[in-house]
Amino acid sequence: MKYNIYNQIKNEKSLSGKLNVVRYDKNLRKIILQIIFSFFLLYFLYYLVTRSFNLDLGLSHLSSRAGFGISHQFLTDYTSNDSRWDAYFIGLVNTIRVSIVGIAFATILGILMGLARLSKNFLLNKISTAYVEIIRNTPLLVQLIFWQLALLQLPQISNALTFGELSVWSNRGILLPYVNSLQNGELWVLCLLIGLIISLVIRSYASKHKEENVNFFSPSIIAISVFILIAVSTYVILGVELYADIPHLTQNQYGTYIQSGGFTLTPEFATVLFSLVLYTGTFITEIVRGSIQSLPKGQTEAAKALGLNNYQTTTLIILPQALRSIIPPLTNQYLNLTKNSSLSVAVAYPEVFMVSRTIMNNSGHALPMLALILSTFLTLSLIISLFMNILNRQITRIGA
Amino acid sequence: MSTLNWIKANLLGSKKDILFTILGTYSIYLITTFFLKFIFSADWTLVEVNRKILLVGLFPNDQIWRIWTIFSISSILISSTIGYTYNFNLKNSVFYILFLTIPILIFTTLDLLVNMLLITLFSCIAYLATNKLKNTNYAKHIKLILWISWGIFLPSILLILTLFGGPKVTLWGGFFVNLILAVIAILAGFPLGIILAIGRASSLPVIKYSSIIFIETFRGAPLIAWLFFAWFVLPNFLPDIFSLDDINLVIRAMIILSLFASAYIAEVIRGGLQSIPKGQIEASTALGIGPLFEMTYIVLPQAIRVVIPTIVSTFIAIFKDTSLVFILGITDVLRIGRLIPEQQQAFYGKSIQTLLVVALLFWIVSIILSQISRSIEKKLNLGN
Repeated sequence: MKYNIYNQIKNEKSLSGKLNVVRYDKNLRKIILQIIFSFFLLYFLYYLVTRSFNLDLGLSHLSSRAGFGISHQFLTDYTSNDSRWDAYFIGLVNTIRVSIVGIAFATILGILMGLARLSKNFLLNKISTAYVEIIRNTPLLVQLIFWQLALLQLPQISNALTFGELSVWSNRGILLPYVNSLQNGELWVLCLLIGLIISLVIRSYASKHKEENVNFFSPSIIAISVFILIAVSTYVILGVELYADIPHLTQNQYGTYIQSGGFTLTPEFATVLFSLVLYTGTFITEIVRGSIQSLPKGQTEAAKALGLNNYQTTTLIILPQALRSIIPPLTNQYLNLTKNSSLSVAVAYPEVFMVSRTIMNNSGHALPMLALILSTFLTLSLIISLFMNILNRQITRIGA
Repeated sequence: MSTLNWIKANLLGSKKDILFTILGTYSIYLITTFFLKFIFSADWTLVEVNRKILLVGLFPNDQIWRIWTIFSISSILISSTIGYTYNFNLKNSVFYILFLTIPILIFTTLDLLVNMLLITLFSCIAYLATNKLKNTNYAKHIKLILWISWGIFLPSILLILTLFGGPKVTLWGGFFVNLILAVIAILAGFPLGIILAIGRASSLPVIKYSSIIFIETFRGAPLIAWLFFAWFVLPNFLPDIFSLDDINLVIRAMIILSLFASAYIAEVIRGGLQSIPKGQIEASTALGIGPLFEMTYIVLPQAIRVVIPTIVSTFIAIFKDTSLVFILGITDVLRIGRLIPEQQQAFYGKSIQTLLVVALLFWIVSIILSQISRSIEKKLNLGN
């Protein structure tokens, strides 16, 4: 006879016996518990749905005319006559832009400060500690407003600071010299990125098959030459002509100051970038410090015994090992930075949250816009996690 | 000679060290002179004039005893808890006293000094009493009393604020509102976070996936988006028994902050739950303890113990996040700090002064909390 609960209940003669079987059966108990829980959950969802009947939940209003301008644009010419979707995508691009730049600088700052925190040099150590303790323990929003006010303290454009005629600093923004191209410059940078990825793939492929086919060149040399080949050929094909773009400050015939050329760091972007980098940098500092401290001391001593100098010990022995435990919490900080960039609504940098808020205020469709923001940030988080997971796999594979 | 050796070893060890030392000294010199110059040349009368507004907003003057009562109750409770859990540590005490004197120096006037001294006196008595009594037979009773008082802490605060014709919630403001938002978010979010963490670790798929969806939804979007949710959408979903006046912005912010905090706390506690060795659970199953008691008596105490430092840093993050209600228009300390230089004619354009004071207030609370977390961490490591 098959042993299951039905037979068991059937075999019990009295009602109390049958009930006891039900009471003490583990699987049945689990199922009943879940049914009760799902009942409450469904009731709650039903309540939410009936409540939201009077709201317009569609996103169709996003196709209508936006009707507001956006100050920061990257490679687009959006006007207030474009649709709300266009406005939203410009906000998204602005979020991604500030996040990528912020992540890059915050990582550099965090690693440098983390190394300084562990340095034997008393002064460096204390500077790093002070940086972490001061910046980490004050709210990011306060820091954002502080940097906004601080950047407004820069001189007016009539007596802007020019560092050897190379860059112009005024409260209208910071102009930095950079390399510009006459045409197709952005396309070329894209080609460079693709070339970089291709050459990295080739390098990993070549190093995998190193033993099978005897190469005359090392994988790195092959990869570098492929990259150079792609760079030069696309440079010629696209007709890119690079030149040094140095900012100028001129006066027209009415005496109005005109700034031209160079890379413009607007006050809003600079504010958001500074505060995000400084704030996230403290957390990365702590992560780097913790990971390095958790390495056994013998590693450093062994490296010293092998005659490696300080720089070699750090870059070849300590950091590669520490990276394994750095990457997961670092991913978290990158996600935080991306989410925190939404605070720039306080300083009027038009990233995705601020644009969505404007649309929300104009259209009155709050719930669908919030759902859109939620899905936007979830997607961004997933993309970052994906990249970091790939990186993590690469790093844990080395030497494993 | 020892100082000379110390300098040689710690500042001038190698050529690079010498370079770093020179650069570091120069940058410290630049930054400190800049700040000192600003601090001594700036006009701080706006802080002196607006002390009360910065701390409690527009709270009516004749109702301020409520805040004093809450302040004294919480400081006595905190000091007795510290007295019960820690032995006297000179370094830590000096640290706390040093950091607590800064706000007192800025904000205390003569008439408040009596209150402050009384509260300090009572707190010291509470600290000493619990510290002495914890080694006697009364330890159990004290533990029970402390647990009960922490349990009724939140309702009693709310009762003190509202009973007998308390001021409207819209009049709450200043740093007080940040503190109370943080306390409520933490005290409400902590149990909810534990439940969510257990739910996420559960083997029942319905409970597991609904916890995961809740946690990831709240962690997915930035807090500011959730606060906008509280502003625009939440009233639509609340039962009709509340009028819009009952659930004003501060209360809605409390709800959302608690839910947001619970999602983050749940993730921290999940880490703790995962660190429990399987043998513990198997052993308790073998003893026939039952799932509920197994959780409350075996797994949770160990799991929470492991993650206390991380939980405290989550608390710090929540406390700092309360500054975001500024964007909703709640008159928290940051908003007041922004409004004073805009609205009071005498102080036009002196935003940086108030902003520095606001930052200082947040900084002191956070740094004391992080010091507490560090000492807990040290204590836990000693236990291992």
